[in-house]
Amino acid sequence: MKDMIMTNEADVSTSKISAKGVQVYYGDTHAIKDVDVEIADKMVTAFIGPSGCGKSTFLRCINRMNDTIDVCRVEGDILIDGEDIYDKRVDPVQLRAKVGMVFQKPNPFPKSIYDNVAYGPKIHGLAKNKAELDEIVEKALRRGAIWEEVKDRLHAPGTGLSGGQQQRLCIARAVATEPEVLLMDEPCSALDPIATAQVEELIDELRQNYSVVIVTHSMQQAARVSQRTAFFHLGNLVEFGETGKIFTNPEDPRTESYITGRIG
Amino acid sequence: MSDIAHTSLYTETPRMKKRHAAEARFRAYGLTAIGIGLAMLIYLVFTIVSSGYNAFFQTRLTVEIPLSEEAITKAGKGVLKTSAYKKIIGASLREELARAGIETDMSDKEMVAIFSGKAAVELRTAVGTALKAELVSKGVEVPGELKDQEYDTVLSKKEFAELRPFLVENPQVLGSTVQFDFLAQSYVDGYMKGRITREIAERSKNISVAQLDLVDQMREAGILRKGFNTAFITGNDASEAYPEGAGYGPAILGSFAMMLVVAFLAITVGVAASIFLEEFAPKNKLTDLIEVNIANLAAVPSIVFGILGLAVFINYLGPLSGDDWLKNNSAFVGGLVLSLMTLPTIIIATRASLKAVPQSIRDAALGVGASKMQTVFHHVLPLAAPGILTGSIIGLAQALGESAPLLLVGLVLAQGAAAPESIGDFFGGPNTAMPAQIYQWSTRADPAFYERAWGGIIILLLFLVTMNAVAVILRRRFERRW
Repeated sequence: MKDMIMTNEADVSTSKISAKGVQVYYGDTHAIKDVDVEIADKMVTAFIGPSGCGKSTFLRCINRMNDTIDVCRVEGDILIDGEDIYDKRVDPVQLRAKVGMVFQKPNPFPKSIYDNVAYGPKIHGLAKNKAELDEIVEKALRRGAIWEEVKDRLHAPGTGLSGGQQQRLCIARAVATEPEVLLMDEPCSALDPIATAQVEELIDELRQNYSVVIVTHSMQQAARVSQRTAFFHLGNLVEFGETGKIFTNPEDPRTESYITGRIG
Repeated sequence: MSDIAHTSLYTETPRMKKRHAAEARFRAYGLTAIGIGLAMLIYLVFTIVSSGYNAFFQTRLTVEIPLSEEAITKAGKGVLKTSAYKKIIGASLREELARAGIETDMSDKEMVAIFSGKAAVELRTAVGTALKAELVSKGVEVPGELKDQEYDTVLSKKEFAELRPFLVENPQVLGSTVQFDFLAQSYVDGYMKGRITREIAERSKNISVAQLDLVDQMREAGILRKGFNTAFITGNDASEAYPEGAGYGPAILGSFAMMLVVAFLAITVGVAASIFLEEFAPKNKLTDLIEVNIANLAAVPSIVFGILGLAVFINYLGPLSGDDWLKNNSAFVGGLVLSLMTLPTIIIATRASLKAVPQSIRDAALGVGASKMQTVFHHVLPLAAPGILTGSIIGLAQALGESAPLLLVGLVLAQGAAAPESIGDFFGGPNTAMPAQIYQWSTRADPAFYERAWGGIIILLLFLVTMNAVAVILRRRFERRW
């Protein structure tokens, strides 16, 4: 673990996403309270915290998935590359092509493996012809580290894969549209340890190309895959910094209580 | 309490006995309920089939009719033309009986009464049609204003004097002998089907025991027999005095026309409305109000939709637009009324199946950057399709079996409808529907109509079973797991 933290610190990155004074309300409930966070490019940022602390809610603000919930209201600024994503001129559909998302429960479309991956590029017009589309699909499946397992049955239904394979298929689907940011909402919570290891390895590789934000319940996972960690508690961002520092030398007593297992 | 810890597993504790008894009782209730349901269903199907299958058979008499020039000229000249043809039929039957070696002292009138009341008209029409065809084949200009059956007058009327030679010299029709299939009258038919007995005949004005004796003899001689009745499925309805000739054809066509209207209007409007309400409309007081009202509409008695159709389509929109289809008796109005009635059913079923599509599929589509509409049409709708199809077909089946609203927009014709001649007629002409025809028949006095009402129910049920089977097959085909 020490080794990993050392290499992690070697990365120097610029800020990709910057949130300032973000407040989220679900009806009368104040779910996120005044959160400021700077998420770096080409790095993995982990959000940890006890259940209901608002980490998933905050993640869903970054690609405006919360727009689909009627009672949800977001205040404050979230900037991606300096552009406010809640600006009136921003189309959330266009934003989501730039900010991909992987969900907690693997949710492949009930279509073939090929169609699952090809759907995004198709609707965004990324491929001019079938050959190009084939190429995109293969590239995405390779990046999702699932190509070798499915290359002979691309037209089998995606829902017929195992849980871990389904989640990697969903990751391949998310990267097929060439996003700049990849949001992952507890991607391993439904997976067994072997599948989890595969996905974690994958996340580390994805860091080469994307800025990755991962919400996780497992502190070990946060320590393994991330360079920065944010600790949320009761809707507040308690502490945010280098993963190594958060886990070895937290500043806030609440962080320390959580990582040592006294709260949460 | 401590007793329980020491009891053997081989003996039942009192508490366990009670629980088992309760379970056994519940199972018995369930079996009884299913048994009662099944028994009722079997009884229903048995009653329908046993009362209705006879409608698909009809008694007919085959008689050789010699078409003599003299007899037909005389018939064409007479004032009561049908009675002249009755005489021809009577005489022909007498000869037929003589050939078969059956002796009878029955009068011509009584003998002819074994035939359907329309037999004479049928014969006259057939003769007229044949004469017309002969004139046409000989290249003679056919007088246009004559109906088919009136061609027998060509032989006798002065104004056709120059046409007469064409029929008399080198005749094709006159002088020939033709085998005719006549319908027997409904009491004879009823006797053949076991509905009319000799005891009834003794008291009846419509049939005598002597006639029944003759019927028995003719049956043995092969002159009279019971055969499959295609005219019941394809033919028109007939007057109260002529049940043996009544058919279901226009009612089937009328129902079909209405189903086309309902399928087009109710399914498109219903599915579009549900998609909008479920996926696009904001959730506020107005949409809540709409939702409550749709749910209430599904519970509105169907006759209310009938009176609505009468008031809005026929009395208001009809005169306003001057449209031929928006009038009393038209299948188009019937279809509109049934569409209104079916709409809530389809909307409720469609919304339920849209709701059943998991949110994760929507999230997945939105997550890769699909727009709201792409999400709905590429992912949600295909997954909801089996449910939507089932709901729509159930709605259609409900509309097919509905008669109450049709009573109010004039789709129950006292005389039945004629077969439509054009598309306009198909949708806009005087029309009737299967359940309305059944209702109409069941109100008529002659028991022969009662049998036809049951036969109509069999055909209606066949349609419903077919539609439900289609629904099941389509659902199986489109069903996907997620």
